This record gives sequence, structure tokens and C-alpha cells, in this order.
Amino acid sequence: MLNDLRRFSSSAFPEELRQSAWDEVFQRVRLASSLAGQPADGHVALCSSALDSVFLQVSASPQVLSPHPDNARLCQGSTVLVLALLSGSGALEEGGQRVAIGTGDIVLFDPAQAWRIELDSDFRALLVKLESASFILRLVRTGSQELNRIATRNGVGAVCLNLIQSIADELAHLDRDQLPPLEATLTELLVACLSYRERSQPEDSTSVQLAHLRRVCRSIEARLGDAELQVEDVARLEGLSVRYLQKLFKTGATTFGEYLRNRRLERCRLDLANPGLAHFSISELCFRWGFGDAANFSRAFSAQFGLSPRAYRAEPPKNPHETLQRGRPPQSQRLNLAPPRPGDDPGERQRRAFQGVLDDHARYALSLALAPKRAAAVAEKDSPGGPAGEALPNHYYIPVSEKTVHWGYFSRSIAPVLTVNSGDILTIETLTQHASDDCERMIEGDPGAESVFHWSAEKKNVERRGAGPMDASILGRGAGEGFGVHICTGPVHVRGAEPGDVLEIRILDILPRPSRHPQHQGRSFGSNAAAWWGFHYDDLLTEPKKREVVTVYEIDARTHPPHAKALYNFRWTPQTDPFGVRHATIDYPGVPVDPATIERQYGVLAKAVVPVRPHFGVLAVAPKEFGPVDSIPPSYFGGNLDNWRAGKGAKVFLPVSVDGALFSVGDPHASQGDSELCGTAIECSLTGVFQLVLHKKVQMAGSFLAELSYPFLETAEEWVLQGLSFANYQAELGPNAQTQVYKESSMEAAMRDAFRKTRHYLMKAHGLTEDEAISLISVAVDFGVTQVVDGNLGVHAIIRKAIFPDYDGAPDRSPP
Amino acid sequence: MDDHVCSPGCMHGVTAENEKDIKGEFHAARRSFLRDAMVVGGGAATLGALGVSLSPSAMAASASAKPGNGPTSHYYIPASAETVLWGYFSKSAKPVVEIETGDYVTIETLTHHSNDDAERMVKGDPGAESVFYWDAKRKGVNRRGAGPMDAKIGAGGGEGVHICTGPVFIKGAEPGDILEVRIVDVAPRPSANPAFKGKSFGSNAAANWGFHYGDLLSEPKKREVVTLYEIDATGERNWARAVYNYRWTPQTDPFGVVHPTIDYPGIPVNHSTIRKNENVLKNIRVPIRPHFGTIGVAPAEADMVTSIPPSYTGGNIDNWRIGKGATLYFPVAVAGAMFSVGDPHASQGDSELCGTAIECSLTGTFQFVLHKKAELPGTPLAELNYPLLETQDDWVLHGFSFANYLAELGAGAQQSIYSKSSVDLALRDAYHKMRHFLMTTQRLDEDEAISLMSVAVDFGITQVVDGNWGVHAVIKKSIFPAREG
Repeated sequence: MLNDLRRFSSSAFPEELRQSAWDEVFQRVRLASSLAGQPADGHVALCSSALDSVFLQVSASPQVLSPHPDNARLCQGSTVLVLALLSGSGALEEGGQRVAIGTGDIVLFDPAQAWRIELDSDFRALLVKLESASFILRLVRTGSQELNRIATRNGVGAVCLNLIQSIADELAHLDRDQLPPLEATLTELLVACLSYRERSQPEDSTSVQLAHLRRVCRSIEARLGDAELQVEDVARLEGLSVRYLQKLFKTGATTFGEYLRNRRLERCRLDLANPGLAHFSISELCFRWGFGDAANFSRAFSAQFGLSPRAYRAEPPKNPHETLQRGRPPQSQRLNLAPPRPGDDPGERQRRAFQGVLDDHARYALSLALAPKRAAAVAEKDSPGGPAGEALPNHYYIPVSEKTVHWGYFSRSIAPVLTVNSGDILTIETLTQHASDDCERMIEGDPGAESVFHWSAEKKNVERRGAGPMDASILGRGAGEGFGVHICTGPVHVRGAEPGDVLEIRILDILPRPSRHPQHQGRSFGSNAAAWWGFHYDDLLTEPKKREVVTVYEIDARTHPPHAKALYNFRWTPQTDPFGVRHATIDYPGVPVDPATIERQYGVLAKAVVPVRPHFGVLAVAPKEFGPVDSIPPSYFGGNLDNWRAGKGAKVFLPVSVDGALFSVGDPHASQGDSELCGTAIECSLTGVFQLVLHKKVQMAGSFLAELSYPFLETAEEWVLQGLSFANYQAELGPNAQTQVYKESSMEAAMRDAFRKTRHYLMKAHGLTEDEAISLISVAVDFGVTQVVDGNLGVHAIIRKAIFPDYDGAPDRSPP
Repeated sequence: MDDHVCSPGCMHGVTAENEKDIKGEFHAARRSFLRDAMVVGGGAATLGALGVSLSPSAMAASASAKPGNGPTSHYYIPASAETVLWGYFSKSAKPVVEIETGDYVTIETLTHHSNDDAERMVKGDPGAESVFYWDAKRKGVNRRGAGPMDAKIGAGGGEGVHICTGPVFIKGAEPGDILEVRIVDVAPRPSANPAFKGKSFGSNAAANWGFHYGDLLSEPKKREVVTLYEIDATGERNWARAVYNYRWTPQTDPFGVVHPTIDYPGIPVNHSTIRKNENVLKNIRVPIRPHFGTIGVAPAEADMVTSIPPSYTGGNIDNWRIGKGATLYFPVAVAGAMFSVGDPHASQGDSELCGTAIECSLTGTFQFVLHKKAELPGTPLAELNYPLLETQDDWVLHGFSFANYLAELGAGAQQSIYSKSSVDLALRDAYHKMRHFLMTTQRLDEDEAISLMSVAVDFGITQVVDGNWGVHAVIKKSIFPAREG
């Protein structure tokens, strides 16, 4: 019955038929799935190759996978199973060992052996049943004492993971004859990964221990905020003995306790230096990182850094490179003090290797941890050891770095940087893609911005910028081709979010990101590019007619009301990027502007004081389409709405299209006018505080939100319906949608869409008849031009809440 | 004239005190007018009672209130068959009053939708009865629109629908000058029917020219619906509420012409032919924004110009920001400027989507200030060739699909405009005008103007129902603090 299946969604089946349908799908990859009594919930895309291999992309709820009972009969000794966990976590049991697996892990199995995979979260994976792979099987069996997990952080393993991810992205567009070459490549890469492991093992007997240490460090890093964390907990979590674990640290010339304390101190130090966290007290920050007592923390901090936390926070570090670099732990300094010398004894070499792991880990670890629970922290101060209320939301902090952003595209296949519960609060740093217009003011000295924008002749930290091909084979601008330009932080996986649900994004606060350059310390800047995609571009009065002009603004948040003032402008000149590509126009994001090639004109707009309206241009959940989606045209999933009303106090409602919703935010603006006429706003890096609230489909039955298939915005005073030239341009324009949308859009169509959405809202949320809705729209609803520069043009409709004095204001309720 | 040149932001002549005086006068004039009218009685009012009066002016005492040296006068123009042009602007119409620069005029305006519910909006109101009078033999105002007098659906063909009070002739005004019109006060016109004492009413027609027409969800797809709204005439409640609605049914006018749709203004709706739905828009409060939809001076291009499409001389701009406290600047196109005002609205949303606002008779008090061409160079008003609006906080520039459609579209302009408009074109025009405004009045270069427009100017959709579609650009005055004071 499912022989020709390519797509399978459990929700398409009546509940009682789901399990058997699910089983049938998994049998195709020689797996059995058991679900702890819950009906299977998930989506599968499946493709079998001409060589009988099967690729199965799955996103589903927690479950246990094990070899299919009939495998002895089904497998002819030449089948290997590959599991690439694209998101989610779980544990793997094989041969008496149990290890945690997480996002990015690739594991190989012999389908004829006994093992089980417990996936304890919603997960997304690519499962491959590789046929004619007996040579891999040999390697797998050789290592039978150990789990066949491939390290994917770098090297061949990383390439392998990228390939698997790309296959997963494109699965819907691959047919049985296109798969064999991919299969062959994948096999070769897997062999390379496994043989590398085999080769390295005999040479260095400590590599297993190093791998264990890496895992332990990762585990600790994720639990720094747990004040009760003990060595026993980590040992248990990682399936290692306490003694063995302590030995690992001892080999690295430290102890578990010291390592833990240093990591906590380091995190506190980074937080103290972070102006984005200035609104938290020192106590709150030290509680955040697991210090139970502020006085103890203060002592430990002073001992470590020679400065009290208060003094450290108050005194701007003289050289940000030395003292403010994110994620550079004290261990590295220790390493530097003991440079490797030839003739070191083996013990010394081993110690360095272990320290290297500790250091390496700390360097890459993200600050993705619980921020303080404000109320809890206060309660703890009042009554030491008092339990934090269970109902309190967690508060996470997502710093911006190359590891936490995707640049210029949305995709359901991007691994989440964090998984949160509905109701959790997140502080998220965002960067403007225009920061490189003035690197000195907007990037230099800022570790997060430096990490994202780093681009030298050898290395570009964030390679993909846009949804175009990685080899820039279309226009040659660069990887991703700049088909999409916004730096988006995320995605954030919201536990339990499924297609059909609605994600409410509450914007609790917005703060500008201060410059970290010593000369501009504490001031904030933004860039406004009057670019070739602007409404004005072909309609200029003065020569040269086809110019692009960048105006740099300074934002002063201390005045009341806060305002921005222009600092200087310059005409864009052809810029050559570090890879040698010449950009005659602003055709690729993040190209560093060389100050020597431009002429800055100061004193522009000298009299003008622009009131600021800090907001996020891009607020999105992942689109349901597979493959990368250009970040520029807004659509049903939100995205580049460029509506300045999405500022502090606003709530944005987006229909969830994929499991976990996958929320991303970016394109921060200090101010924008309705229409964003010249192509950009005052593009200025901002940090936002968000609360994510999930509305489950069942809970909203009969309400407006239950039918929400487009972005909906609510402010304190207004409801805002966002009309777009194409409400869902992907669906409406077909395979070439990402090209066509730029040509086919019109204001009329956007106005038409805004009208229809407003009518829908008034009828559904307020129970009006069509005639009532239309009269009310004409006499009381204001239509404005949101933007005319994002391909899919926008017109919004504003409904003042005062019109409905009796309405309780909850769009997830049924109408009166 | 003294050295002072009026400019945006300058509010000379109107202080809180004299504003109060003006309102007092206005109410006194209104009372006396109503008293006179009562004496005359219901039906045919005499010209004497409905004629223009010159009120004793508090302004006369303060010479400084006037840009010139002479005393300031305050006129009162009641709405009557003799004081309105229905559905057109005309440079050759006979002025109802001739005034000096600096003078005040209180002007009554009537909505052309009053006959949607004559009981509430016409009956007992001598001014409205005079204008809407229509029996088998005679119409109080025969010409309605700029079309031919022998048009089948009625004289003037309904090519233009708004009842415009005026024109007001401003002495000394010549083409090339700028007329500044300050809206000192706006008040709703109370129902004259004792059964509705203390209330005003307005009508909203979701009509065949609306943006929604042809895009309806429920049957019948091609319906027109009139919703009647009630407004508090005492001014205590700042919101309107719906009273009932009804579907338009074919109406036979007193001359026997059948109107299957709303195709001619002022048709008395026979309430025995319609079905009223009460309880519509229950518990909904529409915040009021009293303003004048049609306000402007006579264009030079043609003698008879339909009142529907707005143009460089203003006209049917339909921007709700044109209310109390606002100031408009119009380029004068003909001698005397020939100002008229009508199409009063109690409230409207940006876009006026269904074709009309809450069409509700209002009375406004205006002050007129003439800026002579010779004095304009070097001032922000130099080169102004479109209606510019100044409110307390903003400047608002009006873009149209065609900035001057009469000139751009030539001979058939008044017909062809309806098929040529688009929001895209109107936005393009608003962009051009805002760039010009910033470059001339604020002395910015083009690059500065464009950057500022993208980061600080809001473009909104004024209307998509008046033939020449409108997009306005709003810029906050506070952006240029140096200019104040």
C-alpha cells in the first residue's frame, strides 16, 4: 500500500491507523519503531534509489528505533544503516554501552546486530539504508567494541554531514536515478571517516579518552547553571564511572571542580562585560551560572581576575581584544604559557592534548544557557535554598556568533541552536547585515560581530549568504549568491510546536547593540543604504543617475524620545571582497567596505533628528518548503515583514509550518518609515527579549488563530493585518517563485490581500458579517504602505482596539 | 504687508482665546440662523434667511491677527440651494462671498448621502431641505455633476457627487499664488428632527465604486449596502456607532428615473422599499475624525470639473487628517482662487475602502491667508504645485496617480482617469513630492532626502475609490527641530 510513497504525514491518517502506517514506512529502512503508547506523529519524505537503497527523511515525536525483527531474513549481509540526527537528542545503546547522541551526530549500524536508539525529543533525521555496502560493514564490525559514531565537527565528518543535510533538503526533488551517484559519494565519505578513525586509534591510545573528555565538557557546559551539579551527575549522564571521569581531568592538569568553577567564572565574566545584560544585577548573573551565593562568587571572581565583579563591570576594559573576547577561557592562556617544545616527555604531550580539548571546547561553546529566573533569583536571596517555582519560564540568552546565525535564507533543515518550552523567555542578539558598511563602528572589537563577519582571503566564517547555490554558479557573487541578505539568529525549536499551531512572539524589550571599538565605546550606529533595489533607484534627479548611497546614523537611546542623527554618507564604490570578487553594487551582504575607497561626506542631514522606532525587520518561523528560501520576500511564515510596528510591546503571531516552529529573528532596524522607500531602514544591530508562546491547534478551535495562515501583529493599541502582494508566493507562483515574486508584485495586489485578511479577521475574530466588516473597514481601518522593496510588496491594515471596547483581546478565543 | 511671511508651523492669529471667541461666534451665528429659519418655517426658505451673513468679529479688534493692515472679518455661509455647487468645481461659478486675506468664514457643508435617511438627516433642516428639495417638477439643485444637463440619469449625469459650499472668492488671489486655509473648528450638524435631538447622523455606502465590489464572499455578490451611523452632536462622545444597515434596492427618483445602483447623488431612498437590519456592528465604537473630504480651489484646465478625482488644486482628497487644527496650502489656479468645501465626513479610514466614509454634514470655520507669488521665493511655499497639509505634528503631502490628471490625460481626462489609476503610480507621485518638499523646504540634497524618506517618512493609502487614487506621505515636524520658533 505504501510502495510508491514519497511523502507521508501521520496527520493524514485517522488516529487508529497511524501506528501501522508508521511501521510500514520504517520497515523500508529495516527499522522498527515503538512509541510508548503515543500515536506516531511525524512527517516523512522517502526516496528509494535505483540500487535499492532507501533515503528517508523523518521529523517526528520521541520514539525508540531498533532493528526490524525480520532483518536476519531481509538483510543479505551487505546492508548498512546510517542515522544522521539533524536535530534532536537521545541515547544509543549497543553492546552494553550507552551514549548520548545529539544534533549533528552520524551513527552507522549493522542491521543484523542488536542495538536501540532512544530519541527523547522531537527530532529530525535522515535515515539511509545503504545497499551493496559490505566494505563499510567490515569497518563497522571491526570496531564492534565501540560505537560507530562519526565525529562531524570538522574535517571529513563535517563534509559528510553537510552532504547528508543537503540530501535531506533536496530529497523531494531527487528521483531514483539521481540518487546512485549521491549514494556512492556518501559511501566513500563514510569509509573515509571510519578509516580515519581506525588509523588514528592505534597511533594514539588516548583518543577514546579525549573523545570522552569532549563529551564530558559538552555535558558540563550545558549544565553550568545547575548549582547542584556534581561529578556524579555528569558521570551518570555520560555513562562513565566517576573515577574514570576524574582521571580525565587529572590528565589535563585540573580537576572537575576547578574546571567547573573556572567555566562558571568565565561565563560570568563574559556576561558582566556584555552591555546587553546590563539590566541584570550581578547576583542574577552569578545565579545564572550556578553560583549559589553572591559573596562566594565575588570572592572567587576577585581571586581569578584580580578585580571585583562590580569593578569589572563598571570599568570599560581598555583592550576589548584581550579582555572581552567571547568564549576564550583562562585555560587558553595557560596553554600559551607552556608552548610546546620539541623533546617534551610523553606525559607532557598527553597533558597538552587533554588541555587542548578543554580549551577547544570552551572556545566553541555557546552561551546558550539559562539566564536568571528573575523571580527565582530574588526568592533565593530572601530564603537561601528556596525552591524556584515550577511555573516560572526559563530565560535563555542567545549570543550572536557564526554558530547561531543563518545568513540570508530560511530553511526547515537548519539545526536549531536551542530548544525551549512554550512560555520561555529568550534574549536574542541580532546583527545587521549592513554592519560591514562601517566595520570600525559596527564590527571591530565586538566578538559576536567579528565572528559572523570574519572574512579573510582564507576563510569566511559564515560561508552561505542567501539561498542561491554555494558555488555561486549563477551570478558569481559568492556562496548563496546574496539571494537573501539578512543575518538571522536562530532557529529556536519550540518544544511541541507542530504544523497547524500558531507561535506567538512577544517582544518584551529591545536594546541597541553598542559599539565595542575603543573610540566609539558605548555608542550605537546603523546604516541606511539607498540601494539598487530601492523604489527611487531609476528615478533620480541628480547625477550620477545609478548611484547607491550609504548613510551612517548614530542612535542615541539616552534622549527622550530616543533619536538618530546622520553622521556621514558615502557613495558606494566597487568593493573587492577578500575572496577577490568585485561588487560594483551592493549585490552581496557583508562585503567589508574599504574606507580608503570611499569618500565620506560629514554633516549630512545636519538638522534632521529622526525619532527611533527599534524593531525587527525579520521575524520568521521556518517555511514548510524544502530547501533554502530567500530571506527577502515576506510570506505566510512571516520573514522580512519590515513593519516598524514589530517593536517593543508588540506580539507577532505566525502559523507554524514545521515541527518545532523554528523561530528566527534578524534584520534589526533602529527606525524605518512606512514603505522603506530607498531599500533599507536604519539597519542597526539590536538585542531583543522575546517570549515565545505556543498556541496548540486543538486549544484554538473555532477561533481566529485556528485559521491563521498569515502573519498577524498585535500592538498595545492596534491589530495589524499584513497584506502581501502574494500571501504565499511559493504556493502561488510555483517552482520559479523565488524569481517571479520580484517581477510580479504590485501594490494593488498587496492592498487586495490586506483587505481580504482584514475582512477575515473582523469576521472570524469579532463575529461580524461581511457587510459589517466592509463598512467598518472603510470608516475606521487605516491602510498603509509597509514596504515597496522586498520583492513581495506589503500593505498593512491597522485596526484600533478602541473600536471594540468590550472585546477581551485574545485572538485565540472564539468570537463573541 | 509687514515682513512676516507665513510658513508651515506659523499659527499667528489663532490663539486659544480667540479660537474660543470664534467658536462662540459660530454658535451664536448658528443659533440665530436656526431661529430665523424657524420663523420662515419648513419648506421653502427665503434667500434672506439662508444668505451669507457677516458676523460681528472678535478678530476685528486685533489687527495683528491679520497679515495685512485692515480689520479682519468673519463671514457665515449657511448651506442652501443658493450657496452650493453640486458635484463640480468651476472657475466661472458666481462666488457666494468675496473676502480679504486673513478673513474668517464659517461654512456649513452637507453630505450628499443625507437622503439615505431623510428622516434623520434632512427633515426639519431648512438648509438641507433647500438643497435636497426634489418633487416631480423641481429639484432644489438641478445640476449634480459636471456632465450634460440632459443626461438620462439626471442633470449633470452624477459626474461628480459632492455638495460643495462656495465658492469663496479671495480678493487679490491670482494664478501662481498660494492660498493657506486654516481649519479653526469643525462641528457636526445636529439632526433637525426633534425625535433625534442632540444627535447627528452619517451614512456609509459600500458602493459600486468601492474596492471591495466584485470581491465579496457572500451572496448576492453585486450588492450595495448602506450603514447608518449615529454621532453625538454635543461633542461629549468622541465615537460613532452604527444604527442599522440596508441593502440598496432600485430607487425611483421623483422624476421617475429608476436607479438600480447608487449612480446619482441625492436620490431620496424610499424606506418602504428597503429592509433595515438593526443591531449591526453591535458594541463597536468608531472613533470620530471629523474632516472635509472635498476641499480645494478651482482648477484652470476646464470650466466644469467633476468633484470626484482629486488633483493639484485639491478637491476630493479624502484624507481624514484634514480636520480641526489642520492647515492646507493650495496653489491658486484662477483669479480669486474660488475656494469651496464639502463632502463632510465624521470618520474615515485610510483607503476609504468601500467607497465612502461616514458621510455626515459638518460645519467648519476657516481662516484664509493669501501668499502672493512674489513673496514666495525663498519660502517653503515656493514651487508648491499640489495640496500640502500641515497638522499639529506632521506635514502631509498628497500623491495622486496623476498629479494633475486634467493636464496629463487631456481632453477625455474626466472620464479616462477612472481606468488609469493605480496605487503604484500614486506612491511614485508621493515620492516625487516628498523629495521635492525635502529638497526645497529643508534644503536637503537628493541623497539626504532619499535616506530620510526611507527611515522617517510614512506612506499611507489615502483612498482607492476616487478615480485618481491617492497615497500620502507623512513626515513629522519634530524631525527638524531647528525650524521651530
